[in-house]
Amino acid sequence: MIGMLRMVVVLSALCGLSGFALSYLKMVTAPRIEEQVLTYVQGPALARVFAHARNSPIADRRRFALDHGAVTVFPALRDGRLVGVALEERGKGYGGDIGVMVGFNVTDDSLAGIGVTTLKETPGLGMRVTEQAFAGQFSGVRAPVALTAQGGGIDGVSGATISSGGVVAAVNRAAQIYSRLKPEILKAWAE
Amino acid sequence: MEIFAIFISAIFVNNIVLAQYLGNCPYLGCSKEKSVALGMGGAVIFVIIVSTCCTWLMQRYVLDPYNLGYLQTIVFIVVIAALVQFVEMFLKKAVPPLYAALGIFLPLITTNCAVMGVAILVQREGFGLLESMLWGVAYGLGFTLALLLMAGIRERLDTCRLPKCMAGTPIALVMAGLMSLAFMGFKGMGQ
Amino acid sequence: MTVMREFTKGLWKELPPFRLVLGLCPTLAVTNSADNGLGMGLAVIFVLTLSNMLISMVRSIIPKKVRIACFIVIAASLVVAVELLMQAYAYPLYQQLGIFVPLIVVNCIILGRAEAFAAKNGVAASVADGLGMGLGFTLSLTFLGSLREIWGNGTWFGHAVMWEGFEPLRIMVQAPGAFICLGLILAGMNLINVWQARRKGRDPQPLTQGCGACQACHMNHEA
Repeated sequence: MIGMLRMVVVLSALCGLSGFALSYLKMVTAPRIEEQVLTYVQGPALARVFAHARNSPIADRRRFALDHGAVTVFPALRDGRLVGVALEERGKGYGGDIGVMVGFNVTDDSLAGIGVTTLKETPGLGMRVTEQAFAGQFSGVRAPVALTAQGGGIDGVSGATISSGGVVAAVNRAAQIYSRLKPEILKAWAE
Repeated sequence: MEIFAIFISAIFVNNIVLAQYLGNCPYLGCSKEKSVALGMGGAVIFVIIVSTCCTWLMQRYVLDPYNLGYLQTIVFIVVIAALVQFVEMFLKKAVPPLYAALGIFLPLITTNCAVMGVAILVQREGFGLLESMLWGVAYGLGFTLALLLMAGIRERLDTCRLPKCMAGTPIALVMAGLMSLAFMGFKGMGQ
Repeated sequence: MTVMREFTKGLWKELPPFRLVLGLCPTLAVTNSADNGLGMGLAVIFVLTLSNMLISMVRSIIPKKVRIACFIVIAASLVVAVELLMQAYAYPLYQQLGIFVPLIVVNCIILGRAEAFAAKNGVAASVADGLGMGLGFTLSLTFLGSLREIWGNGTWFGHAVMWEGFEPLRIMVQAPGAFICLGLILAGMNLINVWQARRKGRDPQPLTQGCGACQACHMNHEA
């Protein structure tokens, strides 16, 4: 009986202590973790999408509710006025999901550019979707886009049709969300 | 059709041992005979199903509502360790024939990273409960297949003349490399 | 003196994972570059040293029956701490290592050392054991990572090191390369072992192979 009691006491004390220590550590590191995630996951892609933004799209980000969950929208401002927004979507690639940050010009709803956020593709083939030769084709066109093989205007990376298709799918999905949210987005940064 | 795609993907395209590097210790340790390989594979499938179910419920109804996502690792390992003990006790009492077949493998499974790996993977992919369990079964089958193939090869290898330094684990690893090369041929399927 | 010996045995005599074949999954999975191997190794040093220290400190108050549960709780808490710290201060590394950061907890080195060493020895010796084993693991991973990165990508820690016109063997940074490379290294270790023994005029002792070296699996039986 004593042995049983001792087991329970030692185990719960151990769990309690570790839970307490970890929740403290979590509290201390939480702000830094959020900042790191945005800097390393979305930051480089955003810099590619908005080469000329005067503000920090990460600092000015806002969340909008969707039917399922929510989406974070990153604005690009010039002279205090909203010129573009970007949001992240995913498409199926060869080695897993491809995350794509898709930028839109709010004036004419054309694509401002894309930047790949997460990618697990084959080095040398699928990885080439991040290169300007492929990604640059999205600037200035209007969604929906499609690969040339499907009768669209985007040349896929040769040897990486699946990765290219994943990016295109992500762009089209982002465009749908953008058109649904556009009134709210314009209102949010109107002032 | 969906289910078929899951099974193809988990067994061949993303085989848990040969493409995701999980469960390598039992893969090399328990692949000397086909009967042992079958027993281990069966035990892993069984535990993966139960543990995926439990960890999924844990994540959904305990970790997520209380914002404790960062404790995932500790909660999952404790759940899996406790579960393995319970399964062992339960089988011993209720289903002796099954216990006779799988019993000796059960204690080995707590530190099998395939079980914990699948539990975390299905969370990261954001699957539902039923889908998670299907993936669990499929990954377990993939593990068993890899183990069985390896055992078949190693049984024949015993009759071959090998350089002394290659005997045992080294040649098994090289064989695993060749098998994983063969499985790479499945990549791009089921997309 | 003994502390020194506990430290150095992890560096060669019981070097994981090349001489004791332990912790294969991370060894294979994260060594596609030298950077990742080093990062994984550092995380393991942190967890292993601290878990050895804590377990050695509390070894007298833990009831024998629940010791495995206690080891698991201690190791898992340290792994969560590593996860948090890595996300806060080395996020790119955290992304690269992915699922293998939480999986440090099922790395048999951690529980194996806890059961085989820390639960029976003093704090200083346990820390030395953890540091030595961890350092050996880190060096092995960095070595394997370097090998694979140099041949598979033509770079070392991200700097180009091969001659111009070198065509990288892509297969080296993918799964098959990992298995084959590790297999050949183990064969090499066997050769060195035989050669060393012969020079000293002794019969070559076989290396502890396979997961028999790890006691993590057997300890549930005793519990």
